[in-house]
Amino acid sequence: MKIMIKSKHVVYVLFGTALFYTGCSSKTEEAVQPNIANETITLAQLKFTNEANVSDTTSCTYTFHLDNNDNVISVDSTTLTLKANSVYDGVVYMLDQTQTPVFVVSNEIIQRENYHLFFYQPTPISTAPVISTTSPYIPGTPVTPGVPPLNLTIERTDHDTNNPPLQFGFHTKFTTGAASTGKLRWVLRHQPNAKNGTYAPGSSDLDVNFITVIH
Amino acid sequence: MNTRLLLFILLFPPLVYGQEKASRSYTVHGIVTDIATRLPLAGATLSIVGGQGVALTDKAGVFSLGVQAGRIRLRCEYIGYHSIDTMVTVSGNQHIDFFLSPSQQTLSQVNIQSTAEPHKEVSTLDVAVLQGSALEQTRGLSLGDALKSVTGVTTFQTGPSIAKPVIHGLTGSRVLILNNGVALEAQQWGQEHAPEIDPFIANQIQVIKGADGIRYGADAIAGVISVSPKPLPVDTGIMDGEVNAVGMTNSQLGAFSAMLEGALGKNLAGLSYRVQGTFKRSGDVRTPDYLLGNTGLIESDFSAAVQYYHKNYGIEGYYSNFYTKIGIEFGTEVGSYSDLLMRISEAQPPTTYPFSYFIDRPYQTVNHSTAKFRGFYNITDSSKLEIQYAYQVNTRQEYEELSFSTSLAPAIYLQIHTTTLDLNYQHNDGGGFSGSFGATGMNQGNIRMYGYLIPNFVDYDGGAYAIEKYRQGKWLFEAGARYDYRWLRAFAFDANAAKIDVTTTHYAGTSATLGTTYNFTDNLKLTGNYSAAFRPPSINELYIDGVHASLAEFEIGDANLKTEQANDFSLQLNYATHWLNVDMNGYYNHINNFIFEEPTGQFYHSQGGELLEFAYTQGNVNFHGLDLGITVKPLDSLEVISKTSLIYAWNETIHNYQIYTPPMRLQNGINYHFGNFGPFKSVLVGADDIYVAKQTDVPPGYDFAPPPNAYNLIDAHVGFKLTINKTYADIDIAANNLTNVAYKDYLDRFRYFAYEPGRNVIFRLRVPFEILSNHTNNN
Repeated sequence: MKIMIKSKHVVYVLFGTALFYTGCSSKTEEAVQPNIANETITLAQLKFTNEANVSDTTSCTYTFHLDNNDNVISVDSTTLTLKANSVYDGVVYMLDQTQTPVFVVSNEIIQRENYHLFFYQPTPISTAPVISTTSPYIPGTPVTPGVPPLNLTIERTDHDTNNPPLQFGFHTKFTTGAASTGKLRWVLRHQPNAKNGTYAPGSSDLDVNFITVIH
Repeated sequence: MNTRLLLFILLFPPLVYGQEKASRSYTVHGIVTDIATRLPLAGATLSIVGGQGVALTDKAGVFSLGVQAGRIRLRCEYIGYHSIDTMVTVSGNQHIDFFLSPSQQTLSQVNIQSTAEPHKEVSTLDVAVLQGSALEQTRGLSLGDALKSVTGVTTFQTGPSIAKPVIHGLTGSRVLILNNGVALEAQQWGQEHAPEIDPFIANQIQVIKGADGIRYGADAIAGVISVSPKPLPVDTGIMDGEVNAVGMTNSQLGAFSAMLEGALGKNLAGLSYRVQGTFKRSGDVRTPDYLLGNTGLIESDFSAAVQYYHKNYGIEGYYSNFYTKIGIEFGTEVGSYSDLLMRISEAQPPTTYPFSYFIDRPYQTVNHSTAKFRGFYNITDSSKLEIQYAYQVNTRQEYEELSFSTSLAPAIYLQIHTTTLDLNYQHNDGGGFSGSFGATGMNQGNIRMYGYLIPNFVDYDGGAYAIEKYRQGKWLFEAGARYDYRWLRAFAFDANAAKIDVTTTHYAGTSATLGTTYNFTDNLKLTGNYSAAFRPPSINELYIDGVHASLAEFEIGDANLKTEQANDFSLQLNYATHWLNVDMNGYYNHINNFIFEEPTGQFYHSQGGELLEFAYTQGNVNFHGLDLGITVKPLDSLEVISKTSLIYAWNETIHNYQIYTPPMRLQNGINYHFGNFGPFKSVLVGADDIYVAKQTDVPPGYDFAPPPNAYNLIDAHVGFKLTINKTYADIDIAANNLTNVAYKDYLDRFRYFAYEPGRNVIFRLRVPFEILSNHTNNN
């Protein structure tokens, strides 16, 4: 096999290769754009007002701490403390503090009430909750017999503008019974073009638990 | 028979433009080229069987032969190649191109064959070719779906519109895809990132099954898919075109593709061109029981090519642009593991939607542009120097479903720029030796915005290779070696501190191939090949850190991953006669440091609930299996085709099976050529039965749901040619999943959510036409 490449061809090739590599620049790649998520939740809070005494308010807050990739690295939650045998009005408050100015997520959720549905589930429970399109309870919640239940019943008190209107759960009524302890699971379902009052459609934007003390 | 079939697809439309005229002399002219290398063959003999007249091709492979009007049998012969006989009805000066295949190989069937070596130098690897009518029958499908008829090839899908090809159980960056000779460099970081190629461009799709790192460098440890347009016309002063239209009942897809090409004459002889464009739109896909919301897609593609060929050199420029917008099925962006389990437990999606073409969030858009310049110089009659420069830009934007944000921005924006330079010297000295050597260089840069998936990075690659072949009697030997080096620097915000992390890694490796073919007879040959190849870890495997929405996975990369090393052994047996064709390929691919995702057993707690953590890790894995294709032709008009793909994969490190290994696939089909029925010419009726077994070899704890059951599909089609006003049209009507079976496929990630598409009736129309031809000029 006869190879007919002259040394000047080799020079051309080497020169071309050098030119090729110097033509490539890494300056644009070095200027790293910040990681921005379109939407995230950093704070989720339930605020309660005692119907019998408007100056008696309480709340529970769940805080998500994010890293620079917008992943959750740690969480904080406060205990929800309610008085026994009382009725509270609950309301939702949520923030995205990664944005400047801070974005009030709950305001936007009210705007999109037809796509959202809040669920509230006390645990432990002694009997399975009645699940319907008007109950704020979460299907599939396990029953733990023999364990004193959390004496808390919850009703949604607002409706969206779907036709017919469906419950929303931004505003709620929490009715406590005898002193007990347990957890409150709080879920926000996001159900675009799919909301029908049940839990199943869509996906969860928020799914957290608060330690709850009724005393 | 086989030659006749071959001709049917290889000969250009002018054949059918025959018009009856009074008996007189005409000229038949054309070019003879090697089907594989596309190089012109000088000194090939053209003769009229049973008649007078012989012509030889010149250095450019061009011949010209005087013939009498009427029906003649034309034979094209060349030493070392299979000769071709064809019947031609001469009624004017006519253009016929011949593509000859080397006689060491047996090119017999139209559809799938272990044969030629167009884009690769290693011919002892198993190659399947999809072209001609077999390719026409896939028009309108994505590249991945089009290749499912090849043994050993299947797809990894994300719903009905996103399909990545899988070769011998491997996919993603382990499968190299060539778009007209340019390695497709796109965002291959996710399972839902499908190749950005318009299959309408292709005149031929080749699948090289097995580790082939020699010619195209690192990465191709599973195989290479090469999508090639047909060569530009070289005959001076002609212009022709082709229109394709496809309609599908399921998804109400409409696809339209048009092509115009020509070669200039007179002073501009040697200059030729082609422009081509495709538009495709489809709406929601229907399973047997319900519609899949938001599964529409839009695609618009454009390509243009121009070339100038002179006696000893040629240059060509090529540009293509691919744009697509793909809807992602509603309800598949689950926020948590419990949501995913709920979807899996449901018999069907909780919400059904009316049919629509509208594409809502979630969706993705991808734009891929490629510019290529290629030049060659024939140093001697038997040696050639080639240089190719290509620049590609791939922009991917993924728009997630938004709950409360008013943002119009995508969740993820990634733009990758790739520059490649290839130099190749090839020789064929006629004494039995042939081969090539060369060098390649690549530079890549990625820029991301919005959410984090992978970091910005810069990558420099360099490689050099040599391959040599020696033919001696009944033996073919080949050996090749290659060295590659990669320098990779990633720029990312530190996850925890307010600074930019700059991480530089280096990868180097050698690839090698050693193979031999022994031709027992003209009909029977046995080939053995050993190939070693390697793949550096990809950027996502190194640096990913985040949520994979629709899989309820939280993925964690490992910056310390090493390169994968593949050692692939294959043994092929090919037997071909006029009535029987057998292609059997057994393989054993052992991969050291195979990179895969392993569940950590931990949960990541996002706002919307818990997600399973998966971390990239490495282990030793082997893939072995058998591809078997048998074609029997008991009659000239009848063919029975049977294809079997068997594959097993074992992960030696976790002492268990490898997840997402394709289950056994059997395809049995029958084709009957009815001939002509009045105006309906070349009527072909066929049916296929496709059986895909249940995958039972799965590692426990790696998947969210057990593999779905086996399924059996029936496809049927009718094709014919219709001549209207001297213009002929190819018409094909096919029904896929004819019996409307509801099934799920193991290799579709959306099997957690829904069934696969139901019955789909597909109408295909292809009309080639001539605008300018030589004989009208001459008359």
